[in-house]
Amino acid sequence: MTTVVIVDDHSIFRSGLRADLDPDLTVLGEADSVASAIALLTEVSPDVVLLDVHLPDGTGADVIAGAPGPRYLALSVSDSAEDVVGVIRAGARGYITKGSSGADVSAAVRAVAGGDAVFSPRLAGFVLDAFGAVAGEKAASAEELDRLSAREQEVMRLIARGYAYKEVASELFISIKTVETHVSAVLRKLQLSSRHELTAWALERKLL
Amino acid sequence: MTTTIERPALLRSRLAVVGGVSDGLALHLGWRPSTVRLLFIALTIAGGSGALLYLWLWALVPLQPADEPVTRSAPVSLIAIVAAGVATVVVLAIAGLDSVLGWLVIVAATASAAVVWELAFDRTDPSRPLRYRLGVRFTAVALLLIAGIAALLSRPSALAAIVAVGMIVIAVGVLVAPFVVQLWADLMAQRAARVRELQRAEIAAHLHDSVLQTLALIQNRAGASSEVARIARAQERELRDWLFTGDAPLSEDLAAELHALAATVELDYPVRIEVVAAGASVAAPAPVVAAAREAMLNAARHAGGTVSVYLETSEGAIDVFVRDRGPGVDLSDLPADRLGIRESIVGRMTRAGGTGTVRKTATGTEVHLHLEVPE
Repeated sequence: MTTVVIVDDHSIFRSGLRADLDPDLTVLGEADSVASAIALLTEVSPDVVLLDVHLPDGTGADVIAGAPGPRYLALSVSDSAEDVVGVIRAGARGYITKGSSGADVSAAVRAVAGGDAVFSPRLAGFVLDAFGAVAGEKAASAEELDRLSAREQEVMRLIARGYAYKEVASELFISIKTVETHVSAVLRKLQLSSRHELTAWALERKLL
Repeated sequence: MTTTIERPALLRSRLAVVGGVSDGLALHLGWRPSTVRLLFIALTIAGGSGALLYLWLWALVPLQPADEPVTRSAPVSLIAIVAAGVATVVVLAIAGLDSVLGWLVIVAATASAAVVWELAFDRTDPSRPLRYRLGVRFTAVALLLIAGIAALLSRPSALAAIVAVGMIVIAVGVLVAPFVVQLWADLMAQRAARVRELQRAEIAAHLHDSVLQTLALIQNRAGASSEVARIARAQERELRDWLFTGDAPLSEDLAAELHALAATVELDYPVRIEVVAAGASVAAPAPVVAAAREAMLNAARHAGGTVSVYLETSEGAIDVFVRDRGPGVDLSDLPADRLGIRESIVGRMTRAGGTGTVRKTATGTEVHLHLEVPE
């Protein structure tokens, strides 16, 4: 059983999402602003918080900063790099767009609850771009935060091409667990790297 | 019994001699333009009422509604300049001998009139070249200065001296006026642009928070392949384009081109196409665009559901992947007469010096277009 809190300022969207989520996900509560979300998250402790990037009294990042306990999955209509990178750097473990189906959102929630990162094709595209993978930059060691390793680039490329983790695994002849490890490593780099592009985007959302 | 005659509306002509009044009036009354003009001239000579009537009509009768600018065939500013020139010659001839006051006023009035006409009408008239306009302006300045200085040097009466100084001031003003007018126009345009931008940002923020959310919800509830979701998605795409890229999209950019293609395919088929682009913006090579379009159409026709398009532009190469989750096709299984994939994707890319590969995977088909681009 996975428990969820939905933070979004549109009540229709909240109720729609609630109805669409798979039955094994329990919604513990809903909030419609940064203040009410932080208040709610001090009372209940869900496994995953579904978080809108734009809220009337702040951003999703403010919620993460105010209640850093649970795992966050960002959910937004925005595709802009500032929004995506901003909320990921604030600590969200994944990013999907609001156009995703209930089943997709449920799968993403379960993945985030299990400690994995959720990358949409678009986010993977951003990552390839921002880490200079397209220009041919490659990390020399596993510790390097500002570039992706060859394997990470391959995984990100396949995700950008629309492959699910399972398909990435069979394509590269590695286990799903290994794919998840690579994705989590990329997420960590995305959150910790000091690459100029990432910090610039994050600065746009006033995150640093 | 009365009969009503259908008359053309009273409108000033855009192909005018001076103001377009005579032409318009002639058309309205069904007379010949020359008759109307003669009448105006006759009335003007007989007490000036013709000129007054002309000005009155000019001020009150609206222009013909049309997009092209008004052209005026009578060189009014040139005539005024010539008059000013004649008056200046008279001033030079009689300076020191007689009172120049009357002639000075004539020079000032005609030269100013020429410049005013030039600024007000010739500036927007395509039949007046820049050379003509600059000629009018600088001749006016020269005449004002010559007449003014000549008058001042000839021990004029107090009143004539004041007029002469005034003329020199006007001359300087004429030199500066076009810049001031231009500056003013720029300032107004800038202010209008700023207000528009502000309004746009406000509308964008509002639409982002309301309409985009609703459209996302509709797609969510209606299921990816339904008609409603398709329309909602098309609307979302349009709105998003308008909100985030402004109203001047870079159409030569390959990523933008693929986005546009995806939008048109989505309109015609129950499919959802997600376009992801990474790398620098590149110009769109026609074969890649055409092959990508064919690949998207194939995916939409035979697979449906969600189609992923990934564009990567690295240094020296363009890669486009179009992936669907349909039953999958194998090139070797296709009959030879199926030209779709063989010709329009593989053949086209080969002819362009690149490669096109169609690959069947466990969960669908993936088309890969690759093109080397010289830097």
